[in-house]
Amino acid sequence: MSDLKISNLHKHYGGFHAVKGIDLDVPSGEFTVLVGPSGCGKSTLLRCIAGLEETSQGTIEIGGRDVTYARPRDRDIAMVFQNYALYPYLSVKENIAFGLRARKFAEAEIEKRVSRAAEMLAIGHLLQRFPRELSGGQRQRVAIGRAIVRDAILYLFDEPLSNLDAQLRDDMRVEIKRLHNELGRTMIYVTHDQIEAMTLADRIVLLRDGLIEQQGAPLDLFERPKTRFVAGFLGSPKMNFVDATATRTGVKLADGTTLDLPGQKGLKAGAAVVLGLRPQFITVAGKTVAKGHARVPAVIELLQPTGSRVQATLPLGGASIVAELAAHDVSKPGEKIHIDLDLTRAVVMDPQSGQVI
Amino acid sequence: MTATVHPDRNFKYWLVAPAIFLLLLIGLFPLIYSLIVSFMRIDMMDTDTSFAWFYNYKTLFKDSRLWWSLAHTLLITAVALPIELLLGLAMAYLFLEKMPGRQVFISLLVLPTIISPIVAGATWRLLFDNRYGPINQILGWFAGEPVNALWTINPTLVYPAIIFCEVWQWTPFMFLILLAALSNVDKSQTEAAEIDGARFIRTFRYIVLPAIWPVMAIAILIRGLDLFRIFDIVWALTQGGPGTKTETISIYAYVQGFKQFETSYTAAIAFLVVFILTVVCVWAIRRMGLVK
Amino acid sequence: MSGLPLHRRAGFRLSFRYLLAALLVIVFCFPVYWLFIISFKTPDEIFAFPPVWYPASLQFGNYWVLFKDGDAGTVWNSLVLASVSTFFAMILGTVAAYSLVRFKTGGENLAVWIISQRMMPPVAIVFPLFLLYVYFGWVDTYFGLIILYTAFSLPYVIWMMRGYIEDIPLELEESALIDGCSRWEVLWKVVLPMARSGLFATAVFTFIFAWNDFLFALVLTRTEVTTYTVQVTHYFGGQSNFWAKIAAMSVLGTIPVFITVAIMQRYLVRGISMGAVKG
Repeated sequence: MSDLKISNLHKHYGGFHAVKGIDLDVPSGEFTVLVGPSGCGKSTLLRCIAGLEETSQGTIEIGGRDVTYARPRDRDIAMVFQNYALYPYLSVKENIAFGLRARKFAEAEIEKRVSRAAEMLAIGHLLQRFPRELSGGQRQRVAIGRAIVRDAILYLFDEPLSNLDAQLRDDMRVEIKRLHNELGRTMIYVTHDQIEAMTLADRIVLLRDGLIEQQGAPLDLFERPKTRFVAGFLGSPKMNFVDATATRTGVKLADGTTLDLPGQKGLKAGAAVVLGLRPQFITVAGKTVAKGHARVPAVIELLQPTGSRVQATLPLGGASIVAELAAHDVSKPGEKIHIDLDLTRAVVMDPQSGQVI
Repeated sequence: MTATVHPDRNFKYWLVAPAIFLLLLIGLFPLIYSLIVSFMRIDMMDTDTSFAWFYNYKTLFKDSRLWWSLAHTLLITAVALPIELLLGLAMAYLFLEKMPGRQVFISLLVLPTIISPIVAGATWRLLFDNRYGPINQILGWFAGEPVNALWTINPTLVYPAIIFCEVWQWTPFMFLILLAALSNVDKSQTEAAEIDGARFIRTFRYIVLPAIWPVMAIAILIRGLDLFRIFDIVWALTQGGPGTKTETISIYAYVQGFKQFETSYTAAIAFLVVFILTVVCVWAIRRMGLVK
Repeated sequence: MSGLPLHRRAGFRLSFRYLLAALLVIVFCFPVYWLFIISFKTPDEIFAFPPVWYPASLQFGNYWVLFKDGDAGTVWNSLVLASVSTFFAMILGTVAAYSLVRFKTGGENLAVWIISQRMMPPVAIVFPLFLLYVYFGWVDTYFGLIILYTAFSLPYVIWMMRGYIEDIPLELEESALIDGCSRWEVLWKVVLPMARSGLFATAVFTFIFAWNDFLFALVLTRTEVTTYTVQVTHYFGGQSNFWAKIAAMSVLGTIPVFITVAIMQRYLVRGISMGAVKG
């Protein structure tokens, strides 16, 4: 059964068309991440689901019930906001209990649920404090606590981690993932951060200009992007794009290097294409060239160590590409090396449409 | 049973409806009513409701008592407003820097503003009394001989008396607003100017004034409007006297309406006042750059 | 420069500031002192020449007379009118301001129209209002003056509360909507608590406006709901022994405001500057 079903959803703000016809089906228990650059309509979509924005066209069903015209409180949802949305004049306990009180739960039940949520989030010792006395991470936990005390069908997260510093963000990501595993609830999570999307999602829905560009499991999108936009958006460092010309069996780069692309059919010889190669799929040449790999010489221009790995900038076929190499395989800029390109995982795109061929 | 309209659509109108209803009843309705009446010829003797069109407005132009009252109002405004502004500014500068007991001083200085204008007028009436009031007594100490100034009666002294009272009551208001505005001026900017060797006047003109201007402009506008419709203080001090020497436009309108029962003519005066205020306000708001 | 060591100059500067401050306090507070002191004087002291700067003892006789004659009841009238009208103006004004801020109801035009009502000179509407009140029989009633003061305070309340409500994060309200509150509950449980300090500051000023009103009360009251401001002027131009009554009545009418302001002081300065800044 699907917990959320959106059909042909549109949202206009005056003359601005923010959401341009979205269909989405979210099965029960799934963790779905809506991701995309700012202005892609992901937050608007979430706010439409929550009922905070009126829809212009289309329908929204939650738990099999049409809620397109229902009030937010009648939609059976809970939401965690970017800026925590804690009431400064209420204690942590009362903040968590707010939704239960609004829905007239019995005092004993409130007590039970608040303490259980507090325990899950390890904020039991903070219950009597006020939001202003908490750190950013603690506030975020309280905000999540306020959502999970409720028995909602759908849990919405609107960029909940974007105000935290990097370290805390990693911790909270783990926490949210753990909560999802424990609770098994349907969650919809909006972020602009592709790492959050990759690590948290059962399914990623990548939006662009108010439309779904591609959706599927994270690895699926990472390895088999349908468009140049998807290929470029997911993955860090970004995928390398090199202009090339198609040949019958592969591509020819600007400097004349030809690369055979195994399994790549349907290329029209002589057509301009873009070759996409992930930095992770480039290695320093070993003893043998693996099947489907190509070995090319390169001179290192720049090195950015990240610890166990190092990001090397090198020229390839008239362009500058980044390779993520093992830290000790290279030593300094100017070094002449050979690199192996894993062409089984390379993608070829049409430069005009951006579609992967 | 699925709804097909977004709920709470009319909520926002329910919220403003009572306020708008009251404003229409108390604000707009009387205004329209007066506009209509101002075209008629209703007075105490005559309840003739036929239209006389611009008869009352033509009379306005020939009514020298009206124009004098307007002149009196402008005189008070033109003198009191700059004094309040400059004195308030000077006081704000005096208390800008922290000093022990600053809050106590500020609280005491604000006292005149929270007193009602009618009480302020009454108080100064007692202070100005030629024989039993302390003002003449204090002046006598400086003059070295008894002073017997008739503050609220002598035509040359009555304006200083009114303006004194007005300034006393409303300078603290200017002071408070300007103190708040000055406290918000970015200190690093004024300090940078001082380090560059700029003199106080220059720093004020090019750094402080632009920063406090939005607040100052509104304070001037508010006080200017209040001064233009000044009634209470003058009423308490002189009731427009001696004769009609200190009659302001508000007092004149009151006298016409409630002492002489010139219904239609009063309505016409009211409209003249509204017209002048609107013109001045629109001009001031544009001129002061309050609206981009 | 003066050649004095820096700390000595700073010391002179501070002393100079204290001197000026003290002078200002004397000038601005002396009239208030005089008013209070007259109210406690005996007739002999009031009409002494040269004036008596402080009475030999505090006489409450002047107040006693006011209570005995029932004149002091006008302070009660003022209190009822000002509090009740403040209460209503705060409720109606706050919800209207909320609507203007959150839903942009009526766009800029409605907001400008409401605020322009504040420029309205009382004298321009008091006369037609008087005729309207005579027609409805509202002259000299609590009801009549309360709706008048309420209406007259509304633009100010809306103007001020708009600024405070704009500062409330939208997320707090949205979160409450999702958590199960109706629109009204959001107003009650989120907006009002969040705008608390603004509500207090605005209420104090609204109260003072109504409290200080003279013209409306002069025209629209007779004997039943006479306010203390009108009562003070009743003593003008009469016998000289009315001086004591003027002073005592004024003091009675001033004390409630002093108390209110003293209690609410911390909200006021922010209120004044906010109102000006947010324009």
